[in-house]
Amino acid sequence: MNEITTPLLEISGLKTHFFLDEGTVKAVEGADLIVRPGTTVGIVGESGCGKSVTAYSILQLVENPGRIVAGKILWQRPASAGGDLLDLAALKPNSRELHAIRGGEIAMIFQEPLTSLSPIHTIGDQIVEAIRLHRPVSQEEARDQAVQMLQRVGIPKPQERLDHYPFQLSGGMRQRAMIAMALSCHPSLLIADEPTTALDVTTQAQILELMSELQNDFGMSILLITHNLGVVAEMCDEVVVMYLGQVVEQADTVTLFNEPKHPYTQALMRSIPKIGQRRRGRLDPIKGMVPDPYNRPHGCCFHPRCDKFVPGLCDQQEPPLQKLKSGGMVRCVLYGE
Amino acid sequence: MADSSPNVLLSVQNLKMHFPIRKGFARKVIGHVRAVDDVSFSVPFGETLGLVGESGCGKTTIGRCILRAYDPTHGAIHYQNASGQIIDLAQLQGRELISYRRELRMIFQDPYSSLNPRMTVMDIVAEPLRIHRIAQGKEIEDRVAEILRKVGLRPEYMRRYPHAFSGGQRQRIGIARALVLDPRLVVCDEPVSALDVSVQAQILNLLQDLQAELNLTYLFISHDLSVVEYLADQVAVMYVGLLVEVAPTEELFQSPRHPYTEALLSAVPKTVPRRNPKRIILKGDVADPANPPPGCYFHPRCPYAIDRCKTEAPALREIAPGRKVACHLAEQLSLRGVDTG
Repeated sequence: MNEITTPLLEISGLKTHFFLDEGTVKAVEGADLIVRPGTTVGIVGESGCGKSVTAYSILQLVENPGRIVAGKILWQRPASAGGDLLDLAALKPNSRELHAIRGGEIAMIFQEPLTSLSPIHTIGDQIVEAIRLHRPVSQEEARDQAVQMLQRVGIPKPQERLDHYPFQLSGGMRQRAMIAMALSCHPSLLIADEPTTALDVTTQAQILELMSELQNDFGMSILLITHNLGVVAEMCDEVVVMYLGQVVEQADTVTLFNEPKHPYTQALMRSIPKIGQRRRGRLDPIKGMVPDPYNRPHGCCFHPRCDKFVPGLCDQQEPPLQKLKSGGMVRCVLYGE
Repeated sequence: MADSSPNVLLSVQNLKMHFPIRKGFARKVIGHVRAVDDVSFSVPFGETLGLVGESGCGKTTIGRCILRAYDPTHGAIHYQNASGQIIDLAQLQGRELISYRRELRMIFQDPYSSLNPRMTVMDIVAEPLRIHRIAQGKEIEDRVAEILRKVGLRPEYMRRYPHAFSGGQRQRIGIARALVLDPRLVVCDEPVSALDVSVQAQILNLLQDLQAELNLTYLFISHDLSVVEYLADQVAVMYVGLLVEVAPTEELFQSPRHPYTEALLSAVPKTVPRRNPKRIILKGDVADPANPPPGCYFHPRCPYAIDRCKTEAPALREIAPGRKVACHLAEQLSLRGVDTG
């Protein structure tokens, strides 16, 4: 699309493996993606496809025995922090730079706010802590900023709410509080890991609306991780589809939904019940199931479930991620030159 | 006014389920959570009724009341048994009740927590047969093998433990356990919510095939409107313990008559990029079922509310054959359904 803007975040060839007693789980085995300033990029895929591990890798939050074994994560630091280009994958998880970036330049919100907010600290204390970690402000100033943020994310009576504990808030309010905390330091990238999965549809609609509004106000980019294609269609400018640790397709949202290229994307689109399409016979599921991560299929990892499987080709060699004329990328032999 | 037409399998009348809120050393009752507050509906034989609503609206409680996992506070659950007699399940006790538990079964949401990890698949699926003394010895194994085959699992795996199976396979085990007693009514409580999309389609197809093959009637509880649209013949929408709308599926999705239904439909993210005209964003939170607002429970969030809604609770009334709505303005409003284009 607009190739002129320099990417904010560029991941190339990322591999994150978990070294367990039973063997190595290649949770991420070739992830490539670009996030440009002010845009929303979605990562979609089923559970176990490595979408969350990709996100955790960006901030080096992958837990032992997981490790980034290859690839680059280039992060464009904001002008206020020097404006240089940093490879996050090469930094130590406890380095000074990463401490400054986590929460300060890249913030993250999680699926279940009840487990990611501390149950024994008030909402206010947690937001104030986040602000004071990154900004040289006094306790009172930080508190004022926290009140403003809570108000901005639509929490009524923010002064009172500041002294409440997470369990005293409803699911939607908790997610709002988490967004307030994440945005309190004005990050340039917000990573949202299934931010609405635990919420009801009407609450989900509220939170998605809020995220778009805040994106307009703060001008940040969003990396949205979800399994819900509907959420992707509504929120994202670009989409990355992952399967078994690999990016299998990347395209802008309209192209991806109108002309999915990779057989997995096509099958995924066919298999979901779409609202407003009143039952037309049966659903068209993807055959089989996601393979065991210890036992990745040889060649293209989707070939045992693919209905366009070419014997002797797909099961032999892993296809590379190749650029398409439309601007997207796909990992499939059908689109070779 | 029990619905006694011959093809109604289940008819729930004025069902109420209130849970006491206790406080203090003496555990004094200080209030009630009105999880289900005066709900009536009926399910025709061989059909699927979809029960939708947001979390906490009481849909699971209704399912559990029907199976008598809870003792309803008030109301009748008329069930037509195989010989055509109508029995009030809410009144049954002890041995009588147990015999009806063979005919009414449940499929649970979470295939991980609903299977005992220390029992083999064989034991899990055979347990209902043993409890109800339906089969013995070799026959048990044959019946288990048969039902496993029906739900798409290989009987050779019956000696394995649940951990050896994926989420979708576990859900199939749960379905096999529910169906091994040849039930007539199956309460499916969010059976696909915990599954991945590609597996979800397999399970939905399976539920549909089994319904046709075994003549099952489903009460399908879900928060996912697209899934309900796919499977249900009729849909009942719940809000804070009350039914707000009941209608045939197609009509409900195309022309909802209750503002809450409209908002729900509008809130579902559509899989069409960049084509989401004026979505209705509801203000505020779902009302507290322990302390609901006066009048219509939905009025504080309703964009169409008038003064009458604040004081007078609307009753669920029939506005057209098969269509029931609990809204004072049902006739005046023209609400937006799902774009079927």
